[in-house]
Amino acid sequence: MKTLETQRAHAVQAWNGLQNSARPVVYVGAGSCGLAAGAAEVVDSVEGYLAKKRIGADILKVGCIGPCYLEPLVDVQMPGNPRISYSNVTPGVVGELFDSFFEKGEMFRRHLVGHFGKNGFRGAPKFFEHPMLERQVRIVLRNCGIIDPENVDHYLALDGYKAFEKCLSMRWSDVLEIVKNSGLRGRGGAGFPTWRKWLVCRETKSDTRYLICNADEGDPGAFMNRSLIEGDPHAVLEGMLIAAYTMGASKGFVYIRAEYPLAIKRLKSAIVQVQELGLLGRGILGSEFDFDISIKEGAGAFVCGEETALIASIEGKRGMPRTRPPFPAVEGLWGKPTLINNVETLGTLPNIIRNGAEWYSQYGTETSKGTKTFSLVGKLRRTGLIEVPLGMTVRSVVYDIGGGSIKGFKAVQTGGPSGGCLGEEFLDTPIDYETLGAAGSIMGSGGLIVLDRNTCIVDTTKYFLNFTQAESCGKCVPCRVGTRHLANILERISQGKGEVVDLARLERLALAIKGGALCGLGQSAPNPVLTSLKYFRDEFLSHITDKRCPAAVCRDLVHYRIITDKCTGCQRCVKVCPTGAITGPRSEPHNLDMSKCIKCRSCYEICRFDAIAGDAIVIEPGA
Amino acid sequence: MSTKRTRAKETRTVAIEIDHRTVRCAEGVPVLRAAELNGVFVPSLCSHKDLSSFGGCRLCVVEIAGMRGYPLACSTIVQEGMKILTDTATLREMRQEILQLILSEHPSSCLMCDEKEACRESVHTVRKAGVSTGCRYCPNDDQCELQTLAERLGVTDIHYPVYYRGYEPEHDDPFFDRDYNICILCGRCVRMCQEVRGTSVLAFKYRGSKTQVGPAFGRNHVEAGCEFCGACVAVCPTGTLAEKASKWDGKPDGSEVSTCPFCTLGCQIDVHHKAGRLSKVHAHLDPEINDGQLCVRGAFCVPEVTHNHGRARKPILKRGRYFREVSWPEALGEVASRLQGLKPEEILMVVSPDLTNESLYAAQKFIRSCLKSNSIDSTARWALPGGPGVWADLFSLPISIKSVAHADSIIAVGLDSRFSFSVAGVEIRRALREGATLVTIDARHSNLARYTKHWLRPHPGTEGSVLRALTERLVAGGRGHVSPAAIDETGIDKWAFERAAEALASGENLAVIVGPTAFALDANLDLAKALLRLGGRETTTVLPLFQGANTRGALELGVLGELLPGLERAKGRRVSLADLLEGRAKPKVLYLVGESPFFERPECDFLIAQDIYRPPFEVDAFLPAASFAEAEGTLTNVEGRVQQLVKIEDLADGAVTGYARPDWFIFGALAEKLGRAGPQPKNAGQILKEIGTKVAGFPASPDRRPRRLQLSTRIPWEKARSDYREPGEYRLILEPGGFRHRGIDMSLAVEGLSELALEEGFRFHPDDLDELGIGSGDKVVLGVSDLEVSGPAKADPDCPRGTVWVYRPFAYGGIPQRANLAPLYRFGASLFNVTVSCPGASHAEGAEPQVSAGGGGEP
Repeated sequence: MKTLETQRAHAVQAWNGLQNSARPVVYVGAGSCGLAAGAAEVVDSVEGYLAKKRIGADILKVGCIGPCYLEPLVDVQMPGNPRISYSNVTPGVVGELFDSFFEKGEMFRRHLVGHFGKNGFRGAPKFFEHPMLERQVRIVLRNCGIIDPENVDHYLALDGYKAFEKCLSMRWSDVLEIVKNSGLRGRGGAGFPTWRKWLVCRETKSDTRYLICNADEGDPGAFMNRSLIEGDPHAVLEGMLIAAYTMGASKGFVYIRAEYPLAIKRLKSAIVQVQELGLLGRGILGSEFDFDISIKEGAGAFVCGEETALIASIEGKRGMPRTRPPFPAVEGLWGKPTLINNVETLGTLPNIIRNGAEWYSQYGTETSKGTKTFSLVGKLRRTGLIEVPLGMTVRSVVYDIGGGSIKGFKAVQTGGPSGGCLGEEFLDTPIDYETLGAAGSIMGSGGLIVLDRNTCIVDTTKYFLNFTQAESCGKCVPCRVGTRHLANILERISQGKGEVVDLARLERLALAIKGGALCGLGQSAPNPVLTSLKYFRDEFLSHITDKRCPAAVCRDLVHYRIITDKCTGCQRCVKVCPTGAITGPRSEPHNLDMSKCIKCRSCYEICRFDAIAGDAIVIEPGA
Repeated sequence: MSTKRTRAKETRTVAIEIDHRTVRCAEGVPVLRAAELNGVFVPSLCSHKDLSSFGGCRLCVVEIAGMRGYPLACSTIVQEGMKILTDTATLREMRQEILQLILSEHPSSCLMCDEKEACRESVHTVRKAGVSTGCRYCPNDDQCELQTLAERLGVTDIHYPVYYRGYEPEHDDPFFDRDYNICILCGRCVRMCQEVRGTSVLAFKYRGSKTQVGPAFGRNHVEAGCEFCGACVAVCPTGTLAEKASKWDGKPDGSEVSTCPFCTLGCQIDVHHKAGRLSKVHAHLDPEINDGQLCVRGAFCVPEVTHNHGRARKPILKRGRYFREVSWPEALGEVASRLQGLKPEEILMVVSPDLTNESLYAAQKFIRSCLKSNSIDSTARWALPGGPGVWADLFSLPISIKSVAHADSIIAVGLDSRFSFSVAGVEIRRALREGATLVTIDARHSNLARYTKHWLRPHPGTEGSVLRALTERLVAGGRGHVSPAAIDETGIDKWAFERAAEALASGENLAVIVGPTAFALDANLDLAKALLRLGGRETTTVLPLFQGANTRGALELGVLGELLPGLERAKGRRVSLADLLEGRAKPKVLYLVGESPFFERPECDFLIAQDIYRPPFEVDAFLPAASFAEAEGTLTNVEGRVQQLVKIEDLADGAVTGYARPDWFIFGALAEKLGRAGPQPKNAGQILKEIGTKVAGFPASPDRRPRRLQLSTRIPWEKARSDYREPGEYRLILEPGGFRHRGIDMSLAVEGLSELALEEGFRFHPDDLDELGIGSGDKVVLGVSDLEVSGPAKADPDCPRGTVWVYRPFAYGGIPQRANLAPLYRFGASLFNVTVSCPGASHAEGAEPQVSAGGGGEP
């Protein structure tokens, strides 16, 4: 107990020291989103700058703070000043930015996002008043992007592991009571009340119980769990400790996909730190509670996110689901009661324990309490990782946070391949488990993909079905064969070879799969088809009867046209056309021969970005 | 014994309602089984009685009151008061839909064909096609579960486009062909391979519509460790897996339950026949021995051994330089005239331990009462190292194959069950699944070692000492003192031994299985003593294994010259096989019955061979014997059961079917010719009846009860051989192997067996080869005494350091390539040291001619 206390005291001191540092501090957003945008090069160039100018400053690599579209984000904290955040800081900008601070001694005005101070600062906006962040409630993400995820002191200084210590002083049933009253539901997708799952597990007689943290995030376009682990791994570990203490597990696993190397690295270093603090092992903090955590890297099968397949995978078998019951909470890993919770569920727990059930349940709706993280992606002005109270309307999320679509909102896909597409009529629908379920979609683990008017629903549905049919484990007939037929019918429709009766075929088959498939993934695989058919039937029909793709996406149902008024005859498109379909002398509008055109899109792209006139080539519906 | 668990399960029943009918069924069974037991049909393609529920085909959906959706009958366990509907309109529609989905991935043109009825009436030939595209082109036509189900569920049309996967059919591995284009991915083969056989060769690979069954990582079946037990073939509901030998035989006319004629376990088999000919063999669901499992020999070799084109089916006499096919009377006349007036030591009859009890008895009776000689011998002697005394004592123990599966702790000594005694391996793994502890004692890696933490790896030849030491511990309840020196001598780590002893001690029921390798390696007396000590306890089952299908019968029925039937001492002069081989005796007439333990024609005036194949050297008279499929009889298995061998093929003599006769019949005919005996038996049953009256304890009719040998007087044990050591730094181990049946190695008749990578050559530990500077495949010369033998070296990490391993055919003859090793065989089974040299060219060439000289060609 003593070591943790002294460590925390030390940590608080260090954290305060950092806040009021006498040295400049540079924060770089180095989560996967930042790295993808070039954060690694930015760090190099920052280090190069500081070394060259012989400036003593600390560089902190923090996780994702949310507005991924602004990455790479670099924050500068000069002694006595608050931390100030800058967006899209490429290595080229670094010199300018730092020159301004270190040479001229004044605040850089361009690329400015906001400052983290409590009061105003030289007219700069506050970071958390940025339109993307203003309406968010950051509970599980509270530390993401703020602290150094590889430094346990930062987590400790911000009340880390206090919730777990509090649990140790309570009976397990009291902890369960708090979780029950908080109304927390599983954040992995189905929204099963967390406490009930725990109780079943606890009440099953067994000498051993296991806890599994499901970090096999596999939905296309979803990255909430990865960002959380990368940005604040200790929150997840503390959540695991709390859950394990409550349901009586002695061994925990984090099942995480091997495609998340950074998250795995952060998690591994966090586990080592926690072991050093004596928070893992036998008799933790002098109590009778034993717990240990191992990491199991999954090979990246979508189906391994399904509980029973995940268990099979940990057991070293092929990741294939089995029939339930028995449920894992009764008979799971190696036949023992096993609790599987999502990363976010676990990450939320410390906050609930620390602040109490009432505090948590003030957020959300009557049946869906608390907040939920979403990866807000697609055709939006502002994309990134967000956390909002449940019950917020689709409109608020799409327009207030996401800034709306440039080409006009068309639909939002929730729940990834297991969910569905909801159109404009759902804009004022609150996002909660029941409402989404009633609409034929699901909450899912938190992917929100926004489609604009340039996105074709048939194409999107086809994409999801191709995904599920390729990711089907192959065990049960409806999923393996059925989704293949679904995908093929959709393919036919997108090629303009569909028949009206295909819609009935799709529906009939989709319902057969929904009723007949073995696991949750198979049963929900037809959801994109069913919802799209329900809400966007017209678009299907126009593909079938008019042979027309309104969004001009399906290749077989579009044609290319050169707008002669716009074309300056720069010949860029003539050069890239692989079939010689575009002809014409320089400086005169070109001619496009559709009989030769293979719709490779090269001319379109080059005209948009690289031609003198730009946008002189258009893709239009109708073959 | 330890059936407490199962018994408790069986006694409790629950009442459930199936289709408005109240029935009772055992607690804990799936709804599917409950329905089946009560005569209610629920369609299913992926469930199987021996396998865990899978839930893949989704055809067994049912409606259960109070349960959401449509639960599966195969995975839902019955509960008191459950109300189940199995045949509602919704269910029928769902099943049709699902079956259509299955059929959309399965070539089924003829199943859905308008001409189906007409086709069945008029087309009688199965089309032999490389690729199956429809029922008439499928080896499983008319025997297909999918076909039956499609008819039963009334699916006559598919609403979906049909996919063809376009895989190349796999014909490369021995024994069975695979066409995964018609696989429905029910997973029965995968589960059989993993759950029952414990080999896990088959797995699902890839995902989605590319999902396929097969060994992982693109290996072939031989590399992946397949036992070729055929269990996957037997459970396949479609024609995906098909035996090469019987693939195009079509639906069999019927089947008979018989006994596998290839080893001493005596597995029960269903022998399918078509048009009077043996077609294929499936395991019989016999709870006593094999319970639906077989090994590669039983599953695949039966038809080929009896139907191979090399079968000799007509009597042959040597006339001058020529061999003439002659009639039976002529052949018998010639043989009889040569047997006339011989002194007892001028004749030697060598009898195979693969013969039926009846033939064995008739053989010794012929020698003793017609020729007044005791000069009869058998290679059964080689199969039972240590001598008849040891084995008579071992057979007096209660031996049980089935009890292995019920044991809590198991010791396996020198047993590799991949291709031989696979069923014993399956029983061991059954026990392991129930939580038993396994300790293996084996100098080399065996296929069982992967299931245990306790692999005791002694120096070869000291397995017996280890078992004795373990016995001391177990019998004395953990207090038995074992001298550390005794453990050290075997080369085993003391702590590993202690841990193994501790792990075994916790078990209530112990099973000890000893493979033929262990007995062959100088350890036989120690092994036998340990087995006798353990086997005397009520809670222990022993299972000593040896080569030869009826070796125990050979011992009991007096084909070893010194013992009469019933193991009485024989009086009178005799010549033995050892006398002949070691040049101590030169009988004038040699009579080989189903046996040819020579590479070259042994020296004698007149050589008679009576077998199903001709031996690989010149004989003066050949008498064609009936194979196991053509004659009736009984075999005695290791437990003492006297089990029936059914005559499957009863075809009239002719140019094609030949003129083979049962062995006992030939002896009778000869006796008649010699005019020295009364009326001869008309059928095998008569002989067995005679055995029953003459031999104490032997049943007079087939009797499947295990039987302990009752000895009136104990046969003294032979003295232990002195360890024969030659100077030389490498220890040579001649491991008994091969697939012997009667006079041949079956791999000569069964092509697949020869592919099974029973590596010929000298196997060394790779480090030893490095040290010697020899590469794998290089020629090495082994020197012992004054002789040198050469062969290719082979790196084998499973061999201990400082040893050379060679497969020794249990009764040589057989594969001609092995002839160059013949000089080694004169050392018998003992271990000895050899020098190893990497050839200077002169050495290697010196040894080379031996290969061709000994090899011989087809006679």
